[in-house]
Amino acid sequence: MTVAVLDGGAYYHHETIHGARFRDRFDRAIYARDLEAGDLDGVAALIVADRILPPVLRRKRRLLLGFLDRGGTLIVLGENRAHEWLPGVAWSFRPTNFWWWLEEGADPGHRIAAPEHEIFRHVRPADVVWHFHGLFAPPEGAEPLAVIAPEGDPEGRGGAILYDHRGVAGGRGRLVVSSLDPFYHHGSHFMPAASRFLDGLLGWTDATFRR
Amino acid sequence: MIDALLLDCEQAEGGVHLLMTRPDLGARLDVVPHYDLERTELGRYRGLLVGLHADQRYLAASRPQLEAFLAGGGTIVFCGHVAHPFLAELAPYRPIEGYKAADLVVARVAEHPVWAGVDPADLTWRRGVAGFYGRGGNPPPPGATVVHTLGPRAVPVDFVCRPAVGGRLLVHAGADLWGYLETDGTAARMAPQLLDWLRAGPEAEEAGR
Repeated sequence: MTVAVLDGGAYYHHETIHGARFRDRFDRAIYARDLEAGDLDGVAALIVADRILPPVLRRKRRLLLGFLDRGGTLIVLGENRAHEWLPGVAWSFRPTNFWWWLEEGADPGHRIAAPEHEIFRHVRPADVVWHFHGLFAPPEGAEPLAVIAPEGDPEGRGGAILYDHRGVAGGRGRLVVSSLDPFYHHGSHFMPAASRFLDGLLGWTDATFRR
Repeated sequence: MIDALLLDCEQAEGGVHLLMTRPDLGARLDVVPHYDLERTELGRYRGLLVGLHADQRYLAASRPQLEAFLAGGGTIVFCGHVAHPFLAELAPYRPIEGYKAADLVVARVAEHPVWAGVDPADLTWRRGVAGFYGRGGNPPPPGATVVHTLGPRAVPVDFVCRPAVGGRLLVHAGADLWGYLETDGTAARMAPQLLDWLRAGPEAEEAGR
C-alpha cells in the first residue's frame, strides 16, 4: 500500500515533498496538473497538499472523485477550496489571526474533539494549535477531530479544523479534511508547529496506509 | 501600455484583492488567472507580477514566453523562493539555517525607487516579530544589484538585474511586496512605488546612470 502526494508546483510544495525532512514519507509525488487516470492505481491514500491552485483541483475533480469512489482515502489540507469540488464539505472563511500567540495567556480556542481517534497516536494535541484558515461544519456521518470552540472564533460559532469522514457520500471512500496549511509553512521555513503537525500526520499515514 | 499584469493564484488572503480593488492601484494593472498566462499577450504590459504561490513548474515550462517578454523590454517581478529556476538569472533559494532574530534584520545596501522612504526596520519587524520579510535568499546572478540583505551574513533578500535576454528582473525572497498595503508604517509604500518603477521603465534608469 502506498501514500501519494499531489504537488502544486509552488516552492513550498517542492521543499516539503523533496526536502530532507519528509521526502521518505511519500511513495509517489504527482505534479497535480499532470495527474492522469491510472496514476492513483495502487494508492491507498492521496495527500492533497495545501494551497494547490484551485483551477487545477477543479479540473482534476473527476479523477479525485473516482479515487474516492474506489475506496481510496483522500487527505485534503487547507486553502484548497475543497468545498468547491468534494462532497459534503462546508467551509466558511475567517480572517486569519497570525498574532494570537503574542497575547499572554490567550486561548485561541483549539480543542481535540476525538482524543481516542487513531490520528492522535501520532499528532500531538499541541501541534494543531496555530492559526487556521477558515472553519468546516462537518456533515452528518463525519467525525470532528480538532475544532475551534466558539470562544476562539471571531464569529462566535466555532467549527472544525480537522475531520474524518469515512464512507463519505454513502460510498467506500474516506475523506480527511483540514484547514491547516503545513506544506506552505514547513516549506517556507516558518512556524515549527506546522512542521510538527505534518510530522504527526505523516506518522499516521505511515502507520495506516504504508503497512 | 498597462503598468502591470498580475497572475492570480486565488488565495483568500495576501493582498491581491486589496491591490486590485484600490482605485489608484487597481486601475494600473490587470489580474488574470495564473494559467491564463499562456493565452495572454504580454506585449501590452510593462511589468509581470509573479507571487509566492505561483506554480513554478508551469513558469519553467513558460520560459520562452517569459524570455520574449523580457527581450521586448518588459520587467518581471518575482516574490517567493526559487524552487524551479524559470529564468537564467534565477537559482534555488537558500534558507538561513537555524536563524535567530538577529539573522533576519534587514539592511539596505543600495537605494532603489521601489523602497524609497521605506524604513528597513518596518521590513524587519511586525508587532515585534522578525522574519516576515525574509528568512533566506535567492542567490543573485553576477552583476545584479543587491538592495537588501539579512543579518550579519548579509544574505541577499532583494536584488534587481538586467537579464541577458533584455528587460529587467526584480526578485524578493519572501512574501509578495504588494501584500504590505495594509501594514502600519512605511512598508505600505512598496506596492505603489513598484507600479511607478514599472511605469518609468528601463529607459529612466539608463538616463539616471
